[in-house]
Amino acid sequence: MAQEAATQYERVAEIGGGAYGTVYKARDRLSGQFVALKSVRVQTDQDGLPLSTVREVALLKRLEQFDHPNVVKLMDVCATLRTDQETKVTLVFEHVDQDLKTYLEKAPSPGLPASQIQDLMRQLLCGLAFLHSNCIVHRDLKPENILVTSRGQVKLADFGLARIYSCHMALTPVVVTLWYRAPEVLLQSSYATPVDIWSTGCIFAEMFRRKPLFRGESEVDQLGKIFEVIGLPAEEDWPADVTLSQRNFGPLSHRPITDFVPEISHQGADLLLEMLTFDPLRRISALNALDHLYFQEG
Amino acid sequence: MIREDELASAAATGNVDHVGILLQAGVDVNAVNRFGRTPLQVMMMGSTRVAQLLLKHGANPNLSDESTGDTPLHDAARGGFLDTVKMLIEFNADIRAQDYRSRRPVDLARENGHLEVVTFLESL
Repeated sequence: MAQEAATQYERVAEIGGGAYGTVYKARDRLSGQFVALKSVRVQTDQDGLPLSTVREVALLKRLEQFDHPNVVKLMDVCATLRTDQETKVTLVFEHVDQDLKTYLEKAPSPGLPASQIQDLMRQLLCGLAFLHSNCIVHRDLKPENILVTSRGQVKLADFGLARIYSCHMALTPVVVTLWYRAPEVLLQSSYATPVDIWSTGCIFAEMFRRKPLFRGESEVDQLGKIFEVIGLPAEEDWPADVTLSQRNFGPLSHRPITDFVPEISHQGADLLLEMLTFDPLRRISALNALDHLYFQEG
Repeated sequence: MIREDELASAAATGNVDHVGILLQAGVDVNAVNRFGRTPLQVMMMGSTRVAQLLLKHGANPNLSDESTGDTPLHDAARGGFLDTVKMLIEFNADIRAQDYRSRRPVDLARENGHLEVVTFLESL
Protein backbone atom coordinates (compact mmCIF):
# COMPACT_ATOMS: atom_id res chain seq x y z
CA MET A 1 0.00 0.00 0.00
CA ALA A 2 1.30 3.41 -0.95
CA GLN A 3 2.07 5.94 1.75
CA GLU A 4 1.95 9.10 -0.31
CA ALA A 5 -1.80 9.71 -0.25
CA ALA A 6 -1.40 12.95 1.60
CA THR A 7 0.82 14.48 -1.04
CA GLN A 8 -0.49 12.99 -4.28
CA TYR A 9 -4.15 13.65 -3.54
CA GLU A 10 -5.23 17.04 -2.36
CA ARG A 11 -8.65 17.32 -0.78
CA VAL A 12 -10.87 20.06 -2.18
CA ALA A 13 -14.30 19.45 -0.61
CA GLU A 14 -16.21 17.17 1.70
CA ILE A 15 -18.83 15.24 -0.30
CA GLY A 16 -20.15 12.71 2.15
CA GLY A 17 -20.14 11.99 5.79
CA GLY A 18 -21.83 9.84 8.29
CA ALA A 19 -21.66 6.32 9.52
CA TYR A 20 -18.85 5.21 7.25
CA GLY A 21 -16.47 8.07 7.82
CA THR A 22 -15.95 11.08 5.64
CA VAL A 23 -15.72 11.13 1.86
CA TYR A 24 -13.78 13.85 0.09
CA LYS A 25 -13.55 15.09 -3.43
CA ALA A 26 -9.84 15.45 -4.08
CA ARG A 27 -7.54 16.26 -6.94
CA ASP A 28 -4.82 13.95 -8.16
CA ARG A 29 -1.89 16.32 -8.54
CA LEU A 30 -0.26 14.10 -11.15
CA SER A 31 -3.15 13.75 -13.60
CA GLY A 32 -5.15 16.81 -12.56
CA GLN A 33 -8.25 14.61 -12.35
CA PHE A 34 -10.69 14.54 -9.51
CA VAL A 35 -10.89 11.43 -7.32
CA ALA A 36 -13.00 10.39 -4.34
CA LEU A 37 -11.15 9.64 -1.10
CA LYS A 38 -12.86 7.36 1.38
CA SER A 39 -11.15 6.83 4.67
CA VAL A 40 -11.86 4.54 7.51
CA ARG A 41 -9.98 4.30 10.80
CA VAL A 42 -9.35 0.76 11.92
CA GLN A 43 -8.00 -0.54 15.19
CA THR A 44 -4.62 -2.19 14.88
CA ASP A 45 -2.51 -4.27 17.22
CA GLN A 46 0.98 -5.75 17.01
CA ASP A 47 -0.15 -7.94 14.09
CA GLY A 48 -1.05 -4.88 12.03
CA LEU A 49 -4.33 -4.45 10.21
CA PRO A 50 -7.16 -6.82 11.12
CA LEU A 51 -7.43 -9.75 8.74
CA SER A 52 -11.01 -8.89 7.81
CA THR A 53 -9.96 -5.45 6.58
CA VAL A 54 -7.10 -6.89 4.57
CA ARG A 55 -9.50 -9.42 3.07
CA GLU A 56 -12.08 -6.80 2.09
CA VAL A 57 -9.47 -4.57 0.52
CA ALA A 58 -8.03 -7.56 -1.35
CA LEU A 59 -11.51 -8.36 -2.66
CA LEU A 60 -11.95 -4.81 -3.93
CA LYS A 61 -8.54 -4.92 -5.57
CA ARG A 62 -9.33 -8.24 -7.21
CA LEU A 63 -12.50 -6.76 -8.69
CA GLU A 64 -10.32 -4.12 -10.24
CA GLN A 65 -8.67 -6.64 -12.53
CA PHE A 66 -11.96 -7.16 -14.36
CA ASP A 67 -12.05 -3.48 -15.26
CA HIS A 68 -15.83 -3.58 -15.37
CA PRO A 69 -17.26 -0.62 -17.28
CA ASN A 70 -20.15 -0.10 -14.86
CA VAL A 71 -18.38 0.19 -11.53
CA VAL A 72 -16.02 2.97 -10.47
CA LYS A 73 -12.32 2.17 -10.52
CA LEU A 74 -10.41 1.67 -7.30
CA MET A 75 -7.26 3.56 -8.18
CA ASP A 76 -5.23 3.29 -5.02
CA VAL A 77 -5.27 2.10 -1.43
CA CYS A 78 -3.19 3.87 1.19
CA ALA A 79 -2.59 3.01 4.82
CA THR A 80 -1.36 5.64 7.23
CA LEU A 81 -0.42 4.79 10.76
CA ARG A 82 -2.06 7.30 13.05
CA THR A 83 -1.22 5.92 16.45
CA ASP A 84 -0.06 2.57 17.79
CA GLN A 85 -3.63 1.41 17.94
CA GLU A 86 -5.10 3.04 14.90
CA THR A 87 -4.46 3.02 11.17
CA LYS A 88 -6.24 5.10 8.59
CA VAL A 89 -7.04 3.17 5.43
CA THR A 90 -7.84 5.40 2.48
CA LEU A 91 -9.43 4.07 -0.67
CA VAL A 92 -8.96 6.23 -3.74
CA PHE A 93 -11.77 5.85 -6.24
CA GLU A 94 -12.39 7.28 -9.66
CA HIS A 95 -14.68 10.31 -9.36
CA VAL A 96 -17.35 11.04 -11.96
CA ASP A 97 -18.67 14.57 -11.70
CA GLN A 98 -22.33 13.72 -12.33
CA ASP A 99 -24.77 11.46 -10.53
CA LEU A 100 -28.06 9.99 -11.68
CA LYS A 101 -29.98 12.48 -9.55
CA THR A 102 -28.42 15.40 -11.42
CA TYR A 103 -28.75 13.56 -14.74
CA LEU A 104 -32.50 13.08 -14.21
CA GLU A 105 -33.00 16.68 -13.05
CA LYS A 106 -31.25 17.87 -16.18
CA ALA A 107 -33.43 15.98 -18.64
CA PRO A 108 -35.70 18.35 -20.51
CA SER A 109 -39.45 17.89 -20.09
CA PRO A 110 -41.14 15.38 -20.36
CA GLY A 111 -38.12 13.44 -19.14
CA LEU A 112 -35.74 10.85 -20.52
CA PRO A 113 -36.72 9.02 -23.71
CA ALA A 114 -37.71 5.36 -23.18
CA SER A 115 -34.64 4.13 -25.08
CA GLN A 116 -32.33 6.05 -22.77
CA ILE A 117 -34.00 4.64 -19.66
CA GLN A 118 -33.58 1.16 -21.10
CA ASP A 119 -29.88 1.82 -21.75
CA LEU A 120 -29.29 3.19 -18.22
CA MET A 121 -31.12 0.22 -16.71
CA ARG A 122 -29.11 -2.28 -18.73
CA GLN A 123 -25.85 -0.73 -17.56
CA LEU A 124 -27.02 -0.47 -13.96
CA LEU A 125 -28.00 -4.14 -13.93
CA CYS A 126 -24.71 -5.17 -15.60
CA GLY A 127 -22.77 -3.42 -12.84
CA LEU A 128 -24.96 -4.97 -10.20
CA ALA A 129 -24.75 -8.48 -11.70
CA PHE A 130 -20.96 -8.09 -11.62
CA LEU A 131 -20.92 -7.07 -7.94
CA HIS A 132 -23.38 -9.80 -6.99
CA SER A 133 -21.39 -12.49 -8.80
CA ASN A 134 -18.48 -11.42 -6.60
CA CYS A 135 -20.62 -11.67 -3.48
CA ILE A 136 -20.75 -7.93 -2.95
CA VAL A 137 -24.04 -6.49 -1.80
CA HIS A 138 -24.18 -2.75 -2.35
CA ARG A 139 -26.82 -2.14 0.36
CA ASP A 140 -27.26 1.56 -0.27
CA LEU A 141 -28.02 1.97 -3.95
CA LYS A 142 -29.62 5.36 -4.70
CA PRO A 143 -29.47 7.98 -7.46
CA GLU A 144 -26.69 9.82 -5.60
CA ASN A 145 -24.24 6.94 -5.87
CA ILE A 146 -25.06 5.89 -9.41
CA LEU A 147 -22.69 7.99 -11.48
CA VAL A 148 -23.26 8.89 -15.14
CA THR A 149 -20.41 10.16 -17.30
CA SER A 150 -20.92 12.84 -19.92
CA ARG A 151 -21.04 9.99 -22.46
CA GLY A 152 -23.94 8.37 -20.60
CA GLN A 153 -21.87 5.57 -19.09
CA VAL A 154 -23.22 4.32 -15.76
CA LYS A 155 -20.80 3.59 -12.93
CA LEU A 156 -21.82 2.30 -9.53
CA ALA A 157 -20.04 3.86 -6.58
CA ASP A 158 -19.87 3.37 -2.81
CA PHE A 159 -20.06 -0.42 -2.92
CA GLY A 160 -18.11 -2.88 -0.85
CA LEU A 161 -17.44 -0.47 1.93
CA ALA A 162 -20.21 -1.37 4.29
CA ARG A 163 -18.49 -4.50 5.54
CA ILE A 164 -15.09 -2.88 5.98
CA TYR A 165 -16.67 -0.19 8.06
CA SER A 166 -19.13 -2.20 10.04
CA CYS A 167 -16.45 -4.61 11.21
CA HIS A 168 -14.44 -1.98 12.94
CA MET A 169 -16.48 0.88 14.11
CA ALA A 170 -19.60 1.59 16.00
CA LEU A 171 -22.00 3.07 13.49
CA THR A 172 -22.83 6.61 14.41
CA PRO A 173 -26.49 7.39 14.01
CA VAL A 174 -26.99 9.38 10.83
CA VAL A 175 -29.93 10.24 8.70
CA VAL A 176 -29.95 7.88 5.77
CA THR A 177 -32.66 7.83 3.18
CA LEU A 178 -35.26 5.10 3.50
CA TRP A 179 -36.72 5.59 0.05
CA TYR A 180 -34.77 2.85 -1.74
CA ARG A 181 -34.71 0.40 1.11
CA ALA A 182 -36.11 -3.12 0.63
CA PRO A 183 -38.96 -4.31 2.88
CA GLU A 184 -36.76 -7.00 4.46
CA VAL A 185 -34.24 -4.30 5.45
CA LEU A 186 -37.02 -2.11 6.86
CA LEU A 187 -38.23 -5.15 8.81
CA GLN A 188 -34.64 -5.97 9.83
CA SER A 189 -34.95 -9.52 8.60
CA SER A 190 -32.30 -10.13 5.90
CA TYR A 191 -29.67 -8.31 3.84
CA ALA A 192 -28.62 -10.30 0.79
CA THR A 193 -28.26 -9.37 -2.90
CA PRO A 194 -32.04 -8.96 -3.46
CA VAL A 195 -31.96 -5.73 -1.41
CA ASP A 196 -30.09 -4.09 -4.30
CA ILE A 197 -32.67 -5.28 -6.84
CA TRP A 198 -35.38 -3.62 -4.78
CA SER A 199 -33.46 -0.33 -4.82
CA THR A 200 -32.94 -0.73 -8.58
CA GLY A 201 -36.71 -1.14 -9.03
CA CYS A 202 -37.34 2.07 -7.10
CA ILE A 203 -34.78 3.85 -9.28
CA PHE A 204 -36.27 2.36 -12.49
CA ALA A 205 -39.64 3.89 -11.56
CA GLU A 206 -37.96 7.18 -10.68
CA MET A 207 -36.39 7.43 -14.14
CA PHE A 208 -39.90 7.72 -15.57
CA ARG A 209 -41.43 9.74 -12.76
CA ARG A 210 -38.45 12.01 -12.11
CA LYS A 211 -39.37 11.87 -8.47
CA PRO A 212 -38.97 9.05 -5.96
CA LEU A 213 -41.56 6.26 -5.97
CA PHE A 214 -41.79 5.75 -2.19
CA ARG A 215 -41.02 8.76 -0.03
CA GLY A 216 -41.49 7.46 3.47
CA GLU A 217 -40.69 9.44 6.59
CA SER A 218 -40.10 6.51 8.91
CA GLU A 219 -39.66 2.77 8.54
CA VAL A 220 -43.35 2.11 9.15
CA ASP A 221 -44.43 4.93 6.85
CA GLN A 222 -42.05 3.63 4.17
CA LEU A 223 -43.58 0.13 4.39
CA GLY A 224 -47.07 1.64 4.23
CA LYS A 225 -46.18 3.51 1.05
CA ILE A 226 -44.73 0.34 -0.47
CA PHE A 227 -47.89 -1.67 0.26
CA GLU A 228 -50.03 1.01 -1.37
CA VAL A 229 -48.28 0.08 -4.59
CA ILE A 230 -47.54 -3.64 -4.35
CA GLY A 231 -50.40 -4.60 -2.06
CA LEU A 232 -50.23 -6.03 1.44
CA PRO A 233 -48.29 -9.31 1.46
CA ALA A 234 -50.10 -12.43 2.60
CA GLU A 235 -49.51 -13.36 6.22
CA GLU A 236 -47.58 -16.50 5.22
CA ASP A 237 -45.15 -14.35 3.19
CA TRP A 238 -44.38 -12.14 6.17
CA PRO A 239 -40.92 -12.94 7.60
CA ALA A 240 -40.80 -14.72 10.92
CA ASP A 241 -38.95 -13.20 13.86
CA VAL A 242 -39.61 -9.58 13.05
CA THR A 243 -41.06 -7.16 15.55
CA LEU A 244 -43.49 -5.48 13.19
CA SER A 245 -46.59 -7.52 12.42
CA GLN A 246 -48.38 -7.71 9.10
CA ARG A 247 -51.53 -6.68 10.98
CA ASN A 248 -50.05 -3.21 11.57
CA PHE A 249 -50.89 -2.49 7.96
CA GLY A 250 -54.02 -2.54 5.93
CA PRO A 251 -56.49 -3.41 4.87
CA LEU A 252 -55.20 -1.68 1.78
CA SER A 253 -56.60 -1.39 -1.67
CA HIS A 254 -53.64 -1.18 -3.97
CA ARG A 255 -53.65 0.44 -7.39
CA PRO A 256 -52.03 -0.79 -10.61
CA ILE A 257 -48.34 0.12 -11.00
CA THR A 258 -49.16 2.11 -14.14
CA ASP A 259 -51.07 4.58 -11.93
CA PHE A 260 -47.71 5.44 -10.36
CA VAL A 261 -45.54 5.06 -13.45
CA PRO A 262 -47.86 5.95 -16.34
CA GLU A 263 -45.20 6.22 -19.06
CA ILE A 264 -43.80 2.72 -18.59
CA SER A 265 -44.28 0.07 -21.30
CA HIS A 266 -46.08 -3.22 -20.69
CA GLN A 267 -42.81 -5.19 -20.46
CA GLY A 268 -41.23 -2.45 -18.36
CA ALA A 269 -44.07 -2.66 -15.87
CA ASP A 270 -43.69 -6.43 -15.74
CA LEU A 271 -39.97 -6.15 -14.97
CA LEU A 272 -40.62 -3.42 -12.39
CA LEU A 273 -43.05 -5.65 -10.52
CA GLU A 274 -40.55 -8.51 -10.61
CA MET A 275 -38.07 -6.18 -8.93
CA LEU A 276 -40.58 -4.88 -6.41
CA THR A 277 -41.51 -8.36 -5.22
CA PHE A 278 -41.95 -8.47 -1.45
CA ASP A 279 -40.36 -11.85 -0.90
CA PRO A 280 -36.59 -11.47 -1.49
CA LEU A 281 -36.32 -15.12 -2.53
CA ARG A 282 -38.84 -14.64 -5.32
CA ARG A 283 -37.50 -11.27 -6.43
CA ILE A 284 -35.77 -11.36 -9.84
CA SER A 285 -31.95 -11.47 -9.88
CA ALA A 286 -29.77 -8.98 -11.76
CA LEU A 287 -28.78 -11.61 -14.32
CA ASN A 288 -32.35 -12.74 -14.96
CA ALA A 289 -33.49 -9.12 -15.16
CA LEU A 290 -31.02 -8.58 -18.01
CA ASP A 291 -32.72 -11.42 -19.89
CA HIS A 292 -36.16 -9.91 -19.43
CA LEU A 293 -38.17 -9.13 -22.57
CA TYR A 294 -38.11 -5.43 -21.60
CA PHE A 295 -34.54 -5.27 -22.90
CA GLN A 296 -35.63 -6.59 -26.30
CA GLU A 297 -38.02 -3.72 -26.85
CA GLY A 298 -36.63 -1.25 -29.28
CA MET B 1 -19.37 22.71 9.42
CA ILE B 2 -18.96 26.40 8.74
CA ARG B 3 -21.28 27.88 6.15
CA GLU B 4 -18.59 28.31 3.50
CA ASP B 5 -17.79 24.61 3.78
CA GLU B 6 -21.46 23.81 3.60
CA LEU B 7 -21.93 25.79 0.39
CA ALA B 8 -18.89 24.18 -1.23
CA SER B 9 -20.12 20.72 -0.24
CA ALA B 10 -23.63 21.41 -1.51
CA ALA B 11 -22.12 22.51 -4.83
CA ALA B 12 -19.82 19.48 -4.96
CA THR B 13 -22.74 17.11 -4.47
CA GLY B 14 -24.93 18.88 -7.00
CA ASN B 15 -27.52 19.78 -4.40
CA VAL B 16 -29.20 22.70 -6.19
CA ASP B 17 -31.82 23.35 -3.51
CA HIS B 18 -29.29 23.54 -0.71
CA VAL B 19 -27.00 25.80 -2.76
CA GLY B 20 -29.99 28.09 -3.35
CA ILE B 21 -30.91 28.21 0.33
CA LEU B 22 -27.36 29.02 1.44
CA LEU B 23 -26.98 31.76 -1.17
CA GLN B 24 -30.33 33.22 -0.10
CA ALA B 25 -29.07 33.18 3.47
CA GLY B 26 -26.20 35.37 2.40
CA VAL B 27 -23.25 32.99 2.23
CA ASP B 28 -20.55 34.61 0.10
CA VAL B 29 -20.43 32.81 -3.26
CA ASN B 30 -16.70 33.51 -3.61
CA ALA B 31 -15.62 32.57 -0.09
CA VAL B 32 -13.31 29.58 0.17
CA ASN B 33 -13.91 26.43 2.17
CA ARG B 34 -11.40 24.99 4.62
CA PHE B 35 -9.46 23.54 1.69
CA GLY B 36 -9.09 26.97 0.13
CA ARG B 37 -11.53 26.39 -2.76
CA THR B 38 -14.62 28.28 -3.85
CA PRO B 39 -17.92 26.49 -4.54
CA LEU B 40 -17.53 26.94 -8.32
CA GLN B 41 -14.09 25.30 -8.20
CA VAL B 42 -15.39 22.17 -6.50
CA MET B 43 -18.95 21.94 -7.86
CA MET B 44 -20.30 18.79 -9.48
CA MET B 45 -19.27 19.69 -13.01
CA GLY B 46 -22.20 17.85 -14.55
CA SER B 47 -24.68 19.99 -12.64
CA THR B 48 -25.29 22.88 -15.01
CA ARG B 49 -27.99 24.17 -12.68
CA VAL B 50 -25.55 24.52 -9.79
CA ALA B 51 -23.10 26.23 -12.14
CA GLN B 52 -25.77 28.66 -13.30
CA LEU B 53 -26.93 29.44 -9.78
CA LEU B 54 -23.40 30.17 -8.55
CA LEU B 55 -22.50 32.23 -11.62
CA LYS B 56 -25.71 34.27 -11.39
CA HIS B 57 -24.75 35.09 -7.82
CA GLY B 58 -21.43 36.43 -9.02
CA ALA B 59 -19.09 33.44 -8.72
CA ASN B 60 -15.71 34.18 -10.25
CA PRO B 61 -15.23 31.66 -13.10
CA ASN B 62 -11.53 32.36 -13.57
CA LEU B 63 -9.93 31.18 -10.33
CA SER B 64 -7.39 28.45 -10.90
CA ASP B 65 -6.52 25.56 -8.62
CA GLU B 66 -3.41 26.37 -6.65
CA SER B 67 -1.82 22.96 -7.14
CA THR B 68 -2.53 22.29 -10.84
CA GLY B 69 -3.65 25.57 -12.35
CA ASP B 70 -6.97 24.11 -13.51
CA THR B 71 -9.91 26.51 -13.83
CA PRO B 72 -13.51 25.27 -13.62
CA LEU B 73 -13.57 25.45 -17.42
CA HIS B 74 -10.62 23.03 -17.54
CA ASP B 75 -12.49 20.61 -15.29
CA ALA B 76 -15.77 20.87 -17.17
CA ALA B 77 -13.94 20.35 -20.47
CA ARG B 78 -11.97 17.38 -19.13
CA GLY B 79 -15.20 15.75 -17.99
CA GLY B 80 -16.95 16.49 -21.30
CA PHE B 81 -19.81 18.45 -19.76
CA LEU B 82 -20.75 20.62 -22.73
CA ASP B 83 -23.69 22.43 -21.08
CA THR B 84 -21.52 23.47 -18.15
CA VAL B 85 -18.74 24.55 -20.53
CA LYS B 86 -21.26 26.77 -22.35
CA MET B 87 -22.60 28.15 -19.09
CA LEU B 88 -19.12 29.06 -17.81
CA ILE B 89 -18.27 30.80 -21.08
CA GLU B 90 -21.54 32.73 -21.01
CA PHE B 91 -20.27 34.13 -17.71
CA ASN B 92 -16.90 35.06 -19.19
CA ALA B 93 -14.73 32.10 -18.32
CA ASP B 94 -11.42 32.49 -20.15
CA ILE B 95 -11.08 29.86 -22.89
CA ARG B 96 -7.35 30.64 -23.22
CA ALA B 97 -6.55 29.96 -19.56
CA GLN B 98 -3.60 27.58 -19.16
CA ASP B 99 -2.91 25.10 -16.40
CA TYR B 100 0.59 24.60 -14.97
CA ARG B 101 1.44 22.34 -17.90
CA SER B 102 0.34 24.97 -20.41
CA ARG B 103 -2.81 23.11 -21.40
CA ARG B 104 -5.97 25.00 -22.30
CA PRO B 105 -9.50 23.65 -21.68
CA VAL B 106 -9.75 22.57 -25.33
CA ASP B 107 -6.57 20.51 -24.94
CA LEU B 108 -8.06 18.59 -22.02
CA ALA B 109 -11.30 18.01 -23.93
CA ARG B 110 -9.30 16.62 -26.85
CA GLU B 111 -7.09 14.44 -24.62
CA ASN B 112 -10.20 12.86 -23.18
CA GLY B 113 -11.99 12.42 -26.48
CA HIS B 114 -14.82 14.88 -25.87
CA LEU B 115 -15.21 15.94 -29.48
CA GLU B 116 -18.40 17.97 -29.02
CA VAL B 117 -16.63 20.12 -26.47
CA VAL B 118 -13.58 20.46 -28.74
CA THR B 119 -15.76 21.52 -31.67
CA PHE B 120 -17.61 24.01 -29.53
CA LEU B 121 -14.49 25.57 -28.02
CA GLU B 122 -12.81 25.80 -31.40
CA SER B 123 -15.83 27.54 -32.88
CA LEU B 124 -15.43 30.51 -30.55
